[in-house]
Amino acid sequence: MTFVLPMSFPDLLLLLPEILLTSWLCLILIVDFSFPRLRNEQLAYFSIAGLVATLGCLAWLDYTGVTGTLFANMFALDRMALFFKMFIVGSTILVILSSIDYIHRFKFFRGEYYFLVVMSALGMMFMASANDLLTVFVALEFSTLGLYVLVAYLREDIGSNEAGIKFFILGIFAASLLAYGISLVYGETGKLVFSDMTSLQATPGLAIGFLLIFAALGFKIGAVPFHSWIPDTYHGSPTPVTAFLSIAPKGAAFAILLRMFLVSLATFRPIWTLLLVAVSILSMTYGNIVAIAQKNMKRLLAYSGIAQIGNVLIGLATGTKMGSDAMLFYLLTYLFANLGAFAIVIAVSEAIGSDEIDDYSGLGRRSPFLAFSMLIFLLSLAGVPPLAGFIGKLYIFIAAIKEGLYLLIAVGLINVVISMYYYLIVVKKMYVSEPRERSPLRVSGPIKVVVYICLAGTLAIGVYPQPVTDWVVSAILVFSNVADPTASLPVAPPVIPFGG
Amino acid sequence: MLEELASTFPILTCILFLPVIGGVVLWLFDDEDMVRTSALTIALLELALCIFVLLRFIPESAAMQFSEHVPWMPALGVSYHLAVDGISVLFVGLTAFLTVLIIIYSWDTVRHQVKLYMMALLALETTTMGVFLSIDLILFFVFWELMLIPSYFLIKLWGGGAERHYAALKFVLYTLLGSVFMLVGIALLDINYHQWATLRHIEPTYSFDLLALLSVPIPLTQQILIFWLFFLGFAFKAPVFPFHTWLPDALLEGPIGMAVVLAGLKLGTFGFIRFSIPLLPDASKSQTVVAIVMALGLAAILYGAIMALVQQDFRRLLAFSSISHLGFVVIGLFALNFQGLQGSLLTMINLGFSTAGLFFIAGFLYTRQQSTQLGSFGGMAKQTPLLASFFLFIGLASIGLPGTNGFVGEFLILLGTFKANWLYGGIAVTGVIFGAAYFLWYYERSMLGPLGKAVKDSISDLRPREIFIAASLSAMILWIGLYPAPFLRIMNGSVQALVDRLERGTVASIEPKQTARVD
Repeated sequence: MTFVLPMSFPDLLLLLPEILLTSWLCLILIVDFSFPRLRNEQLAYFSIAGLVATLGCLAWLDYTGVTGTLFANMFALDRMALFFKMFIVGSTILVILSSIDYIHRFKFFRGEYYFLVVMSALGMMFMASANDLLTVFVALEFSTLGLYVLVAYLREDIGSNEAGIKFFILGIFAASLLAYGISLVYGETGKLVFSDMTSLQATPGLAIGFLLIFAALGFKIGAVPFHSWIPDTYHGSPTPVTAFLSIAPKGAAFAILLRMFLVSLATFRPIWTLLLVAVSILSMTYGNIVAIAQKNMKRLLAYSGIAQIGNVLIGLATGTKMGSDAMLFYLLTYLFANLGAFAIVIAVSEAIGSDEIDDYSGLGRRSPFLAFSMLIFLLSLAGVPPLAGFIGKLYIFIAAIKEGLYLLIAVGLINVVISMYYYLIVVKKMYVSEPRERSPLRVSGPIKVVVYICLAGTLAIGVYPQPVTDWVVSAILVFSNVADPTASLPVAPPVIPFGG
Repeated sequence: MLEELASTFPILTCILFLPVIGGVVLWLFDDEDMVRTSALTIALLELALCIFVLLRFIPESAAMQFSEHVPWMPALGVSYHLAVDGISVLFVGLTAFLTVLIIIYSWDTVRHQVKLYMMALLALETTTMGVFLSIDLILFFVFWELMLIPSYFLIKLWGGGAERHYAALKFVLYTLLGSVFMLVGIALLDINYHQWATLRHIEPTYSFDLLALLSVPIPLTQQILIFWLFFLGFAFKAPVFPFHTWLPDALLEGPIGMAVVLAGLKLGTFGFIRFSIPLLPDASKSQTVVAIVMALGLAAILYGAIMALVQQDFRRLLAFSSISHLGFVVIGLFALNFQGLQGSLLTMINLGFSTAGLFFIAGFLYTRQQSTQLGSFGGMAKQTPLLASFFLFIGLASIGLPGTNGFVGEFLILLGTFKANWLYGGIAVTGVIFGAAYFLWYYERSMLGPLGKAVKDSISDLRPREIFIAASLSAMILWIGLYPAPFLRIMNGSVQALVDRLERGTVASIEPKQTARVD
């Protein structure tokens, strides 16, 4: 059997952002090796330039409405993929900006740090477009490869090494589950492309196969009960890497989950709704309750992240268009609040060398800017109006109420109250507790830029969410079969504008 | 031309955002006196705007007036819709009035971080105004939640008690717990509207606008569910017995200014009359709902009064008397007739003068004795005759002596309750007796008799600033007590519309009277 790639030159346009970033990746490496005297800020800005160009390219594709599939449906470029790619590239830019000052802690291979971050981002971009199970596997492993190294980047630090080993072993375990799941699904159906698997028969093999795939993706998004790697890995990793881990891979994995559940498994919706409701309730409750006891800011954000993922899963559990819209919206609000909070953790740890919550005492007096921004980010995570997080929660809860998922709503709302408790503990430390030292903190320029961007995002989406809702609503239109639950339309044929 | 300008001028938006913008301007000043003066100027300007609205308000009308309507999030059906009617307009004035008094009171009693205090206070004023002015439920919810943030900092940073951190956290978490349930109720209303609108092809298909939601029928079972969800939200905030446990802590530990806002502005019960009763008339008049709410109201009256009887601390006493008064308001509301509703509405306003006034008195006592415990008072009437007189006068208003505002409100409530069910009325009356007992007993022990040991020799009577606060409150008390007609006239139209709606229910109310707009 010969394998032919039905592909013409204009089709490559669909891959343009990836091609651009791949070439840039090589350039980063070449520049790093050719100019060893180059200061690492310059390399950082060089990487950012490439990412910004990619972002511009993605925005252009989104604006012109170019969509299509490549490689016999293995790679799909639709508006949802574009949304997630912009999400990933945007968060990568913010992460690199907040790394610039942190980098001096690495004794070796400072240049390769940027290379690895951008490489992971590239893998995640492929995940966002992955339309069949093999691409899922390859792209997922490709993106994780860079992360394995990044997590253990503080070579002298035992915590970082521990984090690296934990992440590696559990990651490999998840990868094997994924491979096994894919083989089972392929064995049962003989198909790999999501959009081909629309009329499946429920067999035990298929069920186990998809469950294993879900487990592997659950590991990526850090949902309970697949969360066990999260606290230690987040705690031990270099903080910018933690920030990266907490947002970008999750977005990419949600793109795959959306395609899998809403396209391939659309007919089994009642069954997987139950599964997702259970996982969501577990994640929210476990994350929030354990977060209360945390003494370290990174661990607190790790557990609060588990809980936030539980919230996002509410949207997926509804299985409707509105729920998926809400999910994308929520992820975007989470991006700003979460990265903003991590940027402040980095700034504080640069200034006082500690991530303990006790050391945030009196931050309100030592640096009003950092404390106020942290307040805004935490309140947005808690869902206080009129910040972005509130609109996100509102959107997701309305979608769930519409489907009558009352138990889920009840648990979700009680969790809002629990989460407010531990966010307020941090607020109390910052504004009320007496500082140990009174000297004002110095905040570096790039971190300030990140905090300003995240503040602007959090406030703007909260006060005027209309453009963002329009964007997510149009991004989810790709699943035309879920647009109206009563109509059973097939997936709309992809538009190929270049006569491919 | 001037008239046209006046009718299109967005005065409610100005009222809403003037304090918070003023608060930001305060940031520019460094001199503390300058900060105080500008805060007072802003509050007075706000009061002037509110008085203008009150003067231009057309009484005896159920219409939403000064309406401003702009879409905010069309995809979800959220809009920026502000308006006042007979129910809310008096609260707007009351908020502005109390804020002025709080700033005057805080002039020399708040000594550290004055700028931040004034900013928090003005931010609180904006959020409170937002609660009263919003017609869109999400907009209302936004301000309802936002209130927590300045309140949290006010209690925490300027509270006097040792347990203020605990009190602040408890206040926030309790209110938040209630309001998340309310949010579900709001979403259910939205979904109900959506289903109705899609069937009839009405655009937009989502709406949170009170006026739009009033125009659709809601099935009874749905109404009852939403009613209880709203009830939790409002009952925690009000607070209605048995959701009241945060109130004594917050009032005791927080600063006087915060206590005046919490005890003087009855946001929770305002929520009942603004949203629960008009939106869910069939649920509000269903037997089980009325029985349970009435029982809670009566329990609150008696429990609050009995607890107040044994309190040693004046602020705790006031907290429990507040709970008892709220019981009256609740039974008046759920008598569901004209007198009951009007009495409750008037009593909510009255408490803004009398309970808030007593908190100012508590503040005056605290400034002199650094405590509000009974042990630190005794026989003070001789040393401080003015303080004692105002104390007595405002206190008598709070227990409803004829000639004061408290009498008019309580009388109307009892009238309405007796009309609805004589048993409820009979129980409520005993609350009035308890009310007189706890106040007069405490007054006797603290102000009359031999001079207490702990009373300082150097104790001084009221200073001009304090006399101004007490006198302006007393003037309002007397005005409503002797000539309540202007206030009642403002309410009449809206209360009558509410009674009509209660009779009709939601099904036959496709075009209720309340949706008529005069802009």
